[in-house]
Amino acid sequence: MSNLSSRRRALKAAAAGTGLAFFGPFRHISYAQGKKPIKLGLTCDASGQYGDSGQDDMRGMVMAIDEFNAKGGVLGRQIVWITQDTETTPATGSRVAERFITREECGFLVGALHSGVANAISQVAQKYGCIYFNSNSSSPTEAGKDCHRTKFVWDGNGTNFSKAIVKNAIAGVGKNWLLLTNDYVWGHNTSKAARAEIEANGGKVVEELLVPQNTRDFTAYLLKIQQLKPDVVAAAIGGDDIKALRTQVSQLKLDTKPAWINNQQDWPDVWGQGADSLFGVFGTNWYHKLKLPGVDDFVRRYQVRWKDAPIPVPGNVSYNGYMCTRELLRAIERAGTTNNIAVIKQLEQIKVSAVDRMQNYDAYMNPATHHLQQTIYMARRNDKPVDKTDLFEIVSWTKPEDALDSREDDLACKLETYESTPTYEL
Amino acid sequence: MTFLAQLLPHLVNGISLGLLFALIALGFMLILGVMEVINLAHGSLFALGAYFAMMLLAPKLGLSSSTFAWYAAMPMSARYALALVIAPLLVGIVGMAVEFGLRRTYGKDPLYGLLFTFGAALVIEESIRVIWGTRDYVLPLPDAISGATLVGGMIYAKYRFFAAAFAIGMIALLWIFIERTPYGAIIKAGAHDSEIVRAMGINLSRLRLLVFALGAALAAIAGVVMAPFWGIRPHVGVDAVVPAFLIIVLGGVGSFWGAVLASLLVGITVGLTGAYASEWSLLSMYLLLVAVVSFRARGLFGKKSVLEA
Amino acid sequence: MGAAQRISLGLVLAALATLPFWIARVGLYQYLGIEILVWGLYALSYNLLLGYTGLPSFGHGAYFGVGAYAFGLMQKYVGANLWLDLAGAILAAALSGALVATFISHRRGIYYALMTIAFCQIFWFVAIKWHSVTGGEDGLLGLKRMPAELGFASISLADNVALYYFVLVVCVAVTALLWRIVHSPFGRVIQAIRQNETRVAFVGYHVWLYKWLVFVLSAGLSGLAGALFALAQLGAFPDVMSLHSSGFVVMMTLIGGGLVSFWGPLIGAAIFFIARDALGALTSTWSLWYGLMFMAIVVLKPEGIAGMWQAWRSRRNARASVSAPVKAQA
Repeated sequence: MSNLSSRRRALKAAAAGTGLAFFGPFRHISYAQGKKPIKLGLTCDASGQYGDSGQDDMRGMVMAIDEFNAKGGVLGRQIVWITQDTETTPATGSRVAERFITREECGFLVGALHSGVANAISQVAQKYGCIYFNSNSSSPTEAGKDCHRTKFVWDGNGTNFSKAIVKNAIAGVGKNWLLLTNDYVWGHNTSKAARAEIEANGGKVVEELLVPQNTRDFTAYLLKIQQLKPDVVAAAIGGDDIKALRTQVSQLKLDTKPAWINNQQDWPDVWGQGADSLFGVFGTNWYHKLKLPGVDDFVRRYQVRWKDAPIPVPGNVSYNGYMCTRELLRAIERAGTTNNIAVIKQLEQIKVSAVDRMQNYDAYMNPATHHLQQTIYMARRNDKPVDKTDLFEIVSWTKPEDALDSREDDLACKLETYESTPTYEL
Repeated sequence: MTFLAQLLPHLVNGISLGLLFALIALGFMLILGVMEVINLAHGSLFALGAYFAMMLLAPKLGLSSSTFAWYAAMPMSARYALALVIAPLLVGIVGMAVEFGLRRTYGKDPLYGLLFTFGAALVIEESIRVIWGTRDYVLPLPDAISGATLVGGMIYAKYRFFAAAFAIGMIALLWIFIERTPYGAIIKAGAHDSEIVRAMGINLSRLRLLVFALGAALAAIAGVVMAPFWGIRPHVGVDAVVPAFLIIVLGGVGSFWGAVLASLLVGITVGLTGAYASEWSLLSMYLLLVAVVSFRARGLFGKKSVLEA
Repeated sequence: MGAAQRISLGLVLAALATLPFWIARVGLYQYLGIEILVWGLYALSYNLLLGYTGLPSFGHGAYFGVGAYAFGLMQKYVGANLWLDLAGAILAAALSGALVATFISHRRGIYYALMTIAFCQIFWFVAIKWHSVTGGEDGLLGLKRMPAELGFASISLADNVALYYFVLVVCVAVTALLWRIVHSPFGRVIQAIRQNETRVAFVGYHVWLYKWLVFVLSAGLSGLAGALFALAQLGAFPDVMSLHSSGFVVMMTLIGGGLVSFWGPLIGAAIFFIARDALGALTSTWSLWYGLMFMAIVVLKPEGIAGMWQAWRSRRNARASVSAPVKAQA
């Protein structure tokens, strides 16, 4: 008996000792030689609904960081980064943001796909004045009522895609539309924009069917659509629901009549499901086979850096991660300091040329909402792929001005003043 | 008349959906009814079945292509049939491992069994994520059962009818097994009075092991069948486990036909609300549960079981 | 309480009171301290049901969430007063609990568990769908940390340290309240219900009413925890109402030893968050290890960490004196 308890005592002591050593003072590393590095916190999902895309997002960010470090860093300082799984959960997002800012002393936070997680993180970031880049969340509210002085949004939102796609489709296909709306904020905002665009262009919304979040079986909706016989169906369906819809529509081969208009499709999701699941026309803000200067080189650099990545080519998610991180580092360089207000002021004025963006049109930051306005592409399934990654056929591209989300402007978005935002320099 | 003509496809859809729900609930019901264990790992085993089937249908194990050339040369329908059999067997083995851990909780408060399987669900889902990653996969289907078919002027997926027919087959098979074979009799006896069963010389722990393995295998079969509808991703199991026990409670614990009827009821409710009040389609099954249980506390056909003690 | 217990309690309180001074040194951060206290409170309220009355609620996230949303909505639309909004949160969560308890209090065991899950899903669904009120998946945002008005002084809670102390005071107060409840006649009845419901009914107690009351109490206090969390997060989100999240409070309560000890849930909450933070920084598969640990504890040591501690102490005492075995202390 006593042997057992003394052994247990020894084990417990060992565990306690390891724990203390583990929790030891990592933070007090002094930088005797060279300058203190600039630290970025990558708030990316590794699990949950956006686990796959979150990791793809991170691949783009890390690529940009590595490229800058290879050139000597920024302001003569190396860039280091840390990441922690935000689990596609807002509560975890808040905690990770607090940890990165207060414990890890990150000067900048990058990353999110889920709007709830992005909002949780950006509230924490704004509280401390830390700049936060929402790399891939495409909810129209992100740069609307949920905007912040420290937050910058880099993806096209549901409204941008709706506007770009709907206008082209009415002319091409027909006037009777049916809206398939995922019954949550993103779905409603996206469908609202589609409806406005449809009616402004002489179309008519025959019916709007609401699809609760987490719907896995769309048969009832597909039967209803066959009964109502619209010309076009505009689907504002996202998350895991669009994945189910894709498999089910493609099984039915229901994708030619009626015509389908989808919103933005994320490359990691499409890659997982394969070309056969693509149906109708959908949006994206970049594609790896665009015939534009710099694209092939970028793809090659990605493939060299991420040899064993689950996705062999970059898509819109890693592209956004790369682009926003690159612009952040450039802005710090231009500002000549990591002072957050100075960097914010730089970011608010950026204009990135089409060549630099590897898109068809110049992109620019809207200083009133902190939303980057960029080229919007329409695509469909590629029936003549040149290789197994060539899933999309790009159909058209729209100028950012023509896809503008007018409701997110000064009316809905109220940025905090510079004065009320805490300022610091790390 | 046109209203009925409009309604009919949705009714057909609801019934087929109900049959799919019944297939999903079968394994859960078996384990609950026979072993009085609430197997919250049901969803993860469901997902695991889909993953194993995916691996069997399109093996990419990185081994030399010549080794598997003969396998890859087999027609898709043969491979699919093979996956339908082998994936559940593999998951049955995983189920046995779970049952092994469960043993210590027998005889104690059923809460412990529930909590153990809850932990197992988490562990299995995380293991899936570690092994296969977070990306989506697609289950390839043989041509014979994929594609669309025209029935009464409406386009349906051929696979849906196949899956519904398969569900009917599985329900029938399971019923025959439980009601008409000696093994089924032993299983039922073990549920009612384990002491007598032991006194009769039957190895009770082996019996429980096999029942749990069977329940896990049923979960896996459902996973394979549902994969073309729901996709293959680590958290797909959550969509299975919640309807499963909702249906069991609705139908009544311990009643086979109660579960089948409840599945059809849930399927029709979800299918019809999906057509006529679409925003409530998912909530409707919960409201149905609350409504039924308020009036019939044990569900439609529930019998008083040891679970209530 | 025994002398040894009082000393341990005193040490823990001292550690918690001085937390802001040493939390950074052990590699953690202030916000985590707040989260541990909030979830500790949540787990303590939850344990009233699980550990004391033996009622397995698997959907308790609903009341935590209702508390968070009610706090936020009161702040935005009724009045931005800390005490008023907290009271509103408790009331809203208690009412939600009362509604659900009315449907389920005559059941126990599996039916009880499954119905709590069904109701949790309903609440989650409402939170997502009624987005004009709740903000849906975006969350109810822009909540503020109003100062704690004490009449003679107004203490700002904007800083994490200040909020931590406020939450600590609330937690200590509620813990003391729960201690009193658990050691009162009411507490004895609910523990008796856990052991044998039928016998309690035969002795003459209105079992349904006791089960209903304990659920309302547990829901209300969980709502308080939710409101405090909304203060910490500056928002209310639907994710706390998910089954996944509701499952976490069950796990931490059990691992900590809530089934045999009053303090178990607090221990469980602390371990959960510290392990999650420490492991989460190293690997993205922390929930795999936590799940395995949970499974091991369920089969090997369901009395949890507090139970193991009690067993160790009683073995030590038994060796010291030859007396009857010390029963598990509630």
